[in-house]
Amino acid sequence: MTALLQLEGVTKRFGGLTAVNDVSLTVGRGEIYSLIGPNGAGKTTLFNLISAVFRPTSGTITFEGKNLTRAPTYTLARLGIARTFQNLAVFKHETVVNNLLVGMHAHLRSDPLSAAIFWGRARNEELRARERVEEIIEFLEIEDIRDHTVGTLSYGLQKRVELGRALAISPKLLLLDEMVSGMNLEEREDIARFILDLKDEFGMTIFMVEHDMGIVMDISDHVCVVNYGRKIAEGRPAEVAANPAVIEAYLGSKRAAA
Amino acid sequence: MRTGHFKENPGQLVALSDSRVVWTWFAGMLCVMVLAPFLIGNYGLTLVVSSLIAIIGAVALNMLTGQTGLISLGQAGFLAVGAYSNALLLTDYHWPVWLTLPASGLIAALISLLVGIPSLRLKGLYLAITTLAFSFIISHVILYAEGVTHGPNGVFVKGATIFGYDVQKGVPLYYLVLGLTVATILAALNISRTRIGRAWMAIRDHDIAARVMGIDLVRYKLLAFAISSFFVGIAGALMSLQLRFVNVDVFALILSIEALAIIILGGLGSIAGAVLGAIFLSFLPETLRLFFSMFADEKSALFTDYVYEIRGAAYGVVIVLFLRFKPEGLIGVWKDARKYWSNWPLAY
Repeated sequence: MTALLQLEGVTKRFGGLTAVNDVSLTVGRGEIYSLIGPNGAGKTTLFNLISAVFRPTSGTITFEGKNLTRAPTYTLARLGIARTFQNLAVFKHETVVNNLLVGMHAHLRSDPLSAAIFWGRARNEELRARERVEEIIEFLEIEDIRDHTVGTLSYGLQKRVELGRALAISPKLLLLDEMVSGMNLEEREDIARFILDLKDEFGMTIFMVEHDMGIVMDISDHVCVVNYGRKIAEGRPAEVAANPAVIEAYLGSKRAAA
Repeated sequence: MRTGHFKENPGQLVALSDSRVVWTWFAGMLCVMVLAPFLIGNYGLTLVVSSLIAIIGAVALNMLTGQTGLISLGQAGFLAVGAYSNALLLTDYHWPVWLTLPASGLIAALISLLVGIPSLRLKGLYLAITTLAFSFIISHVILYAEGVTHGPNGVFVKGATIFGYDVQKGVPLYYLVLGLTVATILAALNISRTRIGRAWMAIRDHDIAARVMGIDLVRYKLLAFAISSFFVGIAGALMSLQLRFVNVDVFALILSIEALAIIILGGLGSIAGAVLGAIFLSFLPETLRLFFSMFADEKSALFTDYVYEIRGAAYGVVIVLFLRFKPEGLIGVWKDARKYWSNWPLAY
């Protein structure tokens, strides 16, 4: 398997706090890679570093051989990196369709003048974008809510819209930050099914942060465990689950308990 | 109840409206507007021209404040820039008016970039204060750059003709303003259904998510400033044509507040709301005048004596009432009414 995303010695300090400490990892093309760890372990910070919301204090991040370490956030969508957020980050005053269309932004070209006239190229471009969005709506089975204002939808549906918006980027790498937190069993199973479909049908690479061990163990190809900002284990789900360092991070050690 | 309305091709999905009823109404309204000069008197026509100019200004401010979420108290400043550009280019430099109008818009847009750049990191109240400061700076520059702007003397606007018609007079002015109003509304509607309008909306609702979706915040915030100010500049230029004389006092802070009031009343973020709000607020003083004139002489004299105070108070009352009872604004009232009648006689 070839590497799609590589982190080498990535460190992020906020003043005196080292949130991510010398983490190196490799995500292969077409795999489902899960990042787990106790609360405050630095998972979301690592995600923010990969999606260029923050810049690392040191270390390098490469995606398809390109160095992302100093790239402005907005250039990532065009490179093919999409993400969802741990706390909902949908555009809540707009309809589902418009939310998904924002995801198409990096693929559209219209300039102010042609947009104001809305003829020829600008219109054709919108038509194509709209058709693509309809495909995503169909994939996520949200046809009946397409014209609803996102803010009025249930939490699970808003998360699904956020996933749809990320898919509209047509990403090579999809970063999912705690996708299923706060969802009921049915909604969680739907999401797990979508993730597997994305990998199998569209060959997308999925990198997710997840607290739900059921999903992590069931669908991941690789699991990476972080604690206090450091990587403590990596491997197949079953290997990681049996790793003493991981058990200690989650449950504490016998010596500490005694 | 309207039923059996299906989308049959993707073209209908990107159309402004795929309903025949809406287009028929729109065409009907346009016909009435075109025939208006033959139906109403000179005084009525002046009022209509003022409200059309208010529509251009409101639709433009709505792009910046309603759609992008950048609160601006600089409307008066941009109107002043547009009006002065137009007046000076016409009177002192003898440019033809078909050139001075777009030039006024462009000058306002360029100056808005100067305001926009330092404002990029600011949001909410802080941005409002910066834009407010801008409009004071503009009026001081106009006052003290006497060599160019005639300073406190103001400028008389003359020499605006298109095809031999004096577009500062009633009917030709009306058609010019009407055409530009329709063009502004269409441009605003079109922009808001492309990636630019959606990028603005994304910045307003969640700027971090917008960045991750590939939107360059710097570029799109500046674009919002520039496009909005372009149209505000044109509105200012049209004001100068209608007023025939511009000086700094015309562009007082109250204009900026009126503009904000219009888009809040209409319903923030909605283009149709901005139009409704502008019509509502432009005709409010006239309605008040008619209201006071129904009473005995002393009461209507009260209105003539305190016209500005009463107008200001009425704006305040109307804004408070709307914020309390209908925060979605006039467009919310309209949507409720439409829902009620389209489902009638059923409840929903």
